[in-house]
Amino acid sequence: MMLLPEQVMRLDVWKHRFRNVMQPSSLALGVAFVIGGVLLLGFGEDPIAAYSAMLRGAFGSRFAIGETLARAAPLALVGFGAAVALRAGLVTLGAQGQVMTGAIGALLTALMFEDAPSAIALPAAAIGGAVFGMAWALLPAVLRAYWRVNEILSTLLFTEFAFLLLKYLLNDPLKPPRAITPQSVEFPENASLGLVLGGTRFHYGILIVPVACLGFAWWIRSTRGFEYDLYGENSVLAKGLGVSERRVIVSSLLISGATAGLVGWIQVAGLLNRVYVQIAAEIGFFGLVVAFLGGARPLGVLAAAVLFGALQSGGLSMQSAEGIPASLSDIIQAVILLGFSVRYAPQIASLFDCIADRMMPSRRTN
Amino acid sequence: MVNRLTEEQGLLADSTQSVPEEFAFSADCVSRRFGDIQALNKVDFALRSGEIHALVGENGAGKSTLAKIISGGLRADTASMRLFGQPYLPKSRRDGASSGVAYVRQQLSLVRGLTVAENLQLGRPGAAPIFDLKAAVAEIDHWCSELSLEVPPESLVDDLPLALRQQAEILTAVAWGARLLILDEPSSNLGPRETAALIGFCHRLREGGTPIIYISHRLPELTELADRLTVLRQGEVVVSGADVRRADLHEVAALMVGDVSLLEVERPSREYGETRLAVESLTVQMDRSVGLEDISFQVRGGEVVGVVGVAGNGQQALAETLTGQSRSTAGRVVVDGVEVTGNPRAAINAKVSHLYEDRAIGLATQMSVADNVVARRVRDNEFSRFGIRLLSRIRSHAALLADRFQVRPPDPMAKAGSLSGGNQQRLMAARELENNPSLLVAHGPTKGLDPEASKVMRDRIFAVAETGGAVVVISADLEEIRELADRVIVLSSGRIADSFDIVEMSSARLGAAMAGLSDNDYERSNIQ
Repeated sequence: MMLLPEQVMRLDVWKHRFRNVMQPSSLALGVAFVIGGVLLLGFGEDPIAAYSAMLRGAFGSRFAIGETLARAAPLALVGFGAAVALRAGLVTLGAQGQVMTGAIGALLTALMFEDAPSAIALPAAAIGGAVFGMAWALLPAVLRAYWRVNEILSTLLFTEFAFLLLKYLLNDPLKPPRAITPQSVEFPENASLGLVLGGTRFHYGILIVPVACLGFAWWIRSTRGFEYDLYGENSVLAKGLGVSERRVIVSSLLISGATAGLVGWIQVAGLLNRVYVQIAAEIGFFGLVVAFLGGARPLGVLAAAVLFGALQSGGLSMQSAEGIPASLSDIIQAVILLGFSVRYAPQIASLFDCIADRMMPSRRTN
Repeated sequence: MVNRLTEEQGLLADSTQSVPEEFAFSADCVSRRFGDIQALNKVDFALRSGEIHALVGENGAGKSTLAKIISGGLRADTASMRLFGQPYLPKSRRDGASSGVAYVRQQLSLVRGLTVAENLQLGRPGAAPIFDLKAAVAEIDHWCSELSLEVPPESLVDDLPLALRQQAEILTAVAWGARLLILDEPSSNLGPRETAALIGFCHRLREGGTPIIYISHRLPELTELADRLTVLRQGEVVVSGADVRRADLHEVAALMVGDVSLLEVERPSREYGETRLAVESLTVQMDRSVGLEDISFQVRGGEVVGVVGVAGNGQQALAETLTGQSRSTAGRVVVDGVEVTGNPRAAINAKVSHLYEDRAIGLATQMSVADNVVARRVRDNEFSRFGIRLLSRIRSHAALLADRFQVRPPDPMAKAGSLSGGNQQRLMAARELENNPSLLVAHGPTKGLDPEASKVMRDRIFAVAETGGAVVVISADLEEIRELADRVIVLSSGRIADSFDIVEMSSARLGAAMAGLSDNDYERSNIQ
């Protein structure tokens, strides 16, 4: 078959991607499952049975698929946002807190629009979530852009603030009169997201994920996204080519704040119906992991999110079906992570270098 | 031939014949090769006890290589060395330090986040596992009064000004028991007052019996400071242990630079156009390197100006300011009538190009060849529509340029970092030269390239001038300057020490300017 030069080039692109991303990813995955299997054998369990229970629990039924997607969606969304920051060379640990404030924001906005028609209340709640998420990213972003305050530390600190704020709100102002445990009032019906599939947890909020994925793909192809990549790769060169450092830092951290805020919104409007103390679970942190594993690329992040969603829901049903502790799937997640860390060791090392440079400016020489 | 020259001129008249008192250190026949480059070739060097011996030369002369060999940081290919009468062959810097040789480099080695006292105890040979900071403070006070230093023992190193940091470094070396001190370009970041202080305590150290090897390229201060001087050029000794007070410094400077006669140079006669670059009384302060002080010059279209000087005399600041990357404290840079000072965007729009000195900074090494090539012009209509990059067009353009600039492999998707050094240089050139720059700032454009590749790169730089661009070549390679430049500017301590037409370039004039002999400071000190 004759290929046009253009097609050859496109083929080359995929070859590069396969070599750089997919090959090592599947390798890490395979190794993780083998190690998990050895562990299972060690505990006297049948690995085949355990894995097939896991697979059934993740994809084996309508309910299982809904469950997997409901768990993957927030990871993917946080992952896209974290990936935007990551590509600009910024590591944000703020998503956890931004999910919390996003959920609060969505709830407060929805309460304001309690009597409005759904067509207004629903998008308003979404915007409320995104804005509150962004608001929680604003100060760390400005501190980083103007005073070089390390964003990893400040966003982590802001997560703590968000958690304290959340606990206060759920114990007092937002708590329903007769509730015993800390929780918020119910999310107004008119702003809630319905279910796509009855009898599952597959709600309409999950449908933003493909939209966000397209948005992220657009971002990468845009000239602005390219300039952010360039900044993340070589900030001195990027500045020399006229890219504004402050703008890159503030915008990319705000974008990641907004997506985390949206996650807060879909969790409360589509899944939980109330805000709980545990609303963010570990979504924020796993979202960052997913962004890393997905190579900060749209399909990669999506695949990593589905994988982690499946491991989580599959792990739980493996526990109920076979009596094998769900922590085994945690172990597998951890081994996958480890496999990738080896794969990304040079990048991670250079990331730490870059962090160290920032904290100790003396390491930089002119 | 060089030796004959110096002997004829009687430079080393007294030093070799007098029967030397005991040598603190002597090295015979030191050679060291790095790949194709003979960094040191059969160098003999002797240090008398109780003298300050200046080691002089321009970049790449081998001064630092020799210092590293003496301090143990580098092994010589051949050498026989004696330290205080004993055969001496250090295996490492630590080894050298425990024999009493301390090497204080330009980049100071104190930990910036610790206090001076903590630094004194950290890594001290034979130190107790628990630091005795009180003793350290007392020790520092002792040495401060001994040498009249002003080092505050309990300040963070980071909070100290550079001069004090350097004092702390030297103090640490002395307190650790240095019997021989090597100072590498200690005055390069100091002002006149601080240099005077440095000279003062070097003398006190000498009186205390510690001989010093003082590496420098700045001759004026040596008359006050040093007893003897040795000049290296391209790894060979051209002046050996001459008495500083008797030597003609202008002659030494000329010997340092070597023969720069212009017999082979022929300039194609070019018509110069309008002034394209105007630098107007520019003063720049840099955080960690030498800035610029009141610099003015102009470059016309079609003209190539070469900026020479020993590295670290403001070259970095000049390159960064001309391309809009560094702000000025005073003065401005104007390209084609547009001010670009401190505004990289304006510089890009004015078509200012920059061949970075360091390829790792001039390229995004983890990104593809295609991304690197269009990084300057990604917002052009040619490469994006409605803010979206036209990937296939970018790739075919990159393939075209890779071919034109001979980047191998010509694969637009290859990572820039996976290319060899020469190909990375060509890739950077492809990005910066493709679009007829108005001003090209080329900083060390052929550093590390083989002769063939260097020639191609120089042709490309010429081509910029031929299409009417203004070119500033910043280079420590005099050969390169001679080949490219129409006019030469000599930078010394951030100032223009001299400026002349290429046909007026001579060893004496260039050497004097590079060694700071034409500085105002020097003239002033002569008048006194």
